Amino acid sequence: MKKETVKQILLHIGLICAALICVYPLSRIFTVSIRPGDRIISTDLALIPDQATFLSYIKLLKETYFLRWLYNSLVITAATSFIGVSLASTAAYAFSRFEFFGKRSAMIVLLATQMIPAGMLILPLFLMIMKLNLMNTYLGMIIAYSVSSLPFSIWILKGYYDTIPKSLEEAAMVDGTGHIGAFWKVILPLSTPALSIAFLFNFTAAWNEYLVARVVLFSSKQYTWTLGLFELQGQFITQWGMFAAGSMLVTVPVLLVFLYSSKWLVSGLTLGSVKG
Amino acid sequence: MSSVISSLAEIISFIILIAAAVAAIELYLWSHFKYHNKKLILYSLGIFFSIAFAFVFKLSGFFSVKVFSLFLIWELFLIYASKNLLKGKKYLPYLLAAPAFLGLAALLMYPFIFQVYLSFHDLKLTTIMKWKETGELPFAGIKQYIAVFTVPPLAETGFFKLLWRTLAWTFVNVFFHVLGGFILALMLSEVKAFKGIYRTLLVVPWAMPQVVAVLAMRGEFHSQYGFVNVMIKKALAIFPWLASLGITPVNWLSDYPLLTCVIINIWLGIPFMTVIILGGLQSISKSYYDAASIDGAGYFQKLYYITMPLIKPVLMPAVTLGTVWTFNNINVIYLVTGQAGGTEQADILVSALYKAAFTYNRYSYSAAFAMVIFAILFSISVSYSKFFAEKKEGKT
Repeated sequence: MKKETVKQILLHIGLICAALICVYPLSRIFTVSIRPGDRIISTDLALIPDQATFLSYIKLLKETYFLRWLYNSLVITAATSFIGVSLASTAAYAFSRFEFFGKRSAMIVLLATQMIPAGMLILPLFLMIMKLNLMNTYLGMIIAYSVSSLPFSIWILKGYYDTIPKSLEEAAMVDGTGHIGAFWKVILPLSTPALSIAFLFNFTAAWNEYLVARVVLFSSKQYTWTLGLFELQGQFITQWGMFAAGSMLVTVPVLLVFLYSSKWLVSGLTLGSVKG
Repeated sequence: MSSVISSLAEIISFIILIAAAVAAIELYLWSHFKYHNKKLILYSLGIFFSIAFAFVFKLSGFFSVKVFSLFLIWELFLIYASKNLLKGKKYLPYLLAAPAFLGLAALLMYPFIFQVYLSFHDLKLTTIMKWKETGELPFAGIKQYIAVFTVPPLAETGFFKLLWRTLAWTFVNVFFHVLGGFILALMLSEVKAFKGIYRTLLVVPWAMPQVVAVLAMRGEFHSQYGFVNVMIKKALAIFPWLASLGITPVNWLSDYPLLTCVIINIWLGIPFMTVIILGGLQSISKSYYDAASIDGAGYFQKLYYITMPLIKPVLMPAVTLGTVWTFNNINVIYLVTGQAGGTEQADILVSALYKAAFTYNRYSYSAAFAMVIFAILFSISVSYSKFFAEKKEGKT
């Protein structure tokens, strides 16, 4: 009995240390973001500094294009996810409910596309976008992003459709609708959880993307927030206060969404393979 | 405000355009499948769509004889398939899957093929304007592939050095990810109170946007104000004898960039492994451990003989995935070292590829470089899967 208590205490100590290491940079960003302007660079380690203020936030919103960056990211990401999920939902239905010539090879192609590292295709995509005269535009970004999460979404949705009993569709078809009607009226409403997970996955992947944006967008007004924050960290002067404030504003919603959806994400990640 | 509205209108019209294109493609495929037994209609459809295709491409300025003859071949194939293979049966799945696969073909497979094409030609800063206007590129044969091994992709670091660094980087990272993930998962599975809270806090590095996480960690390695050096200074003030062990504040970012990147990446990668392994641990039935306890097995014996073998099926896909991710990790290294005057000491193959393409603008060289990296990664993955397949067979 005694031994068990000691073990539990040691476990708690270990886990608290690990949790501190995991959360520390985030808490530090929070601290920096509410420091007063004359003390942003400091070796002070207190969580809430003296004379805490929200000046950095105000400065960020007033003096930089931060809202514009968020808006750019939002538009690009929303359009990307919408296109990605709509394409995936019908393709997944074909794979889940039909036997057809070439199905096996198509599934292998889907998995094989995951073997191509994302970083490898940046160069040809960049050249294609340049040739189409879509540099520095939303459309160029949407084109570059739209299919990158498609194989993963198809896998997730197919897995979910497989769990919906066929009899439900058959009942709908007896009532006189075709396959398309059954898909629209039965399958899609029933798979809202999987659809939202696929949407979230598409969304976070595009929302957090940095490398493609770096080469496609070049005017500071068109930047997505990832580029904007990187710029605030600056080549010569780091705007620590504004960088921290921007990071907080971006991270908190993403964190909440992630924690909410992580359970499904993990099951999806182990289901098929995905690229990072 | 007006720019916001106009950009919204742009996006919405783009989505409508995509929807219209998808509808046109569906109609095109459907008409071929539908009229498979009416030869006259089928052939006139073929002629109609060929003319329409030529017209649309002429308008958008991409028309060329090559593209058009490709389309004709495709059209003939479609008519043949519709007449002889499908015969009007079960064409719905093709219609359903077509838009997704067209998207993949245009934006994943075509870029890949384009990259292969580029790697045998000579596209660089001096030829790019001509290529953009006329589409002409000088042929280079395997010159670029030879250059990959002989000319350094960066200012000074050559291919083989990068390769060894990449392998070491991948191994060290994955090793610590699994080790750290295993320890944390074991602790989480055995702790009794606050399990949910710990689990939530431990996934924070994974949940944060990677750009923020890496840039924040980068700040912590700042030589003067970063947490790491501040703590080292404080420790030195209390225990001066630490200095004799070589523990002193250092310029992490300029003197030890690779070590910094490794530490940051380990910090980033452990939560994923923890979650995966924890899931595996929870699926192991308690009765195995009870049986082992009755037989008098100790803690480490149970760990070795029960936990390890049973966790393997969960762990192996995660390790494979983690290896590919780590091998391909541009983000961490680029965000830590990629700014002007950045060092080359931390670059691995993929980050060198990114820099060769977009800092030094050597496009064809980078394409060949990318193909070589792809070949390396492909052979690693194949040997991985063979290795595990053999092990499985050996067991049964």
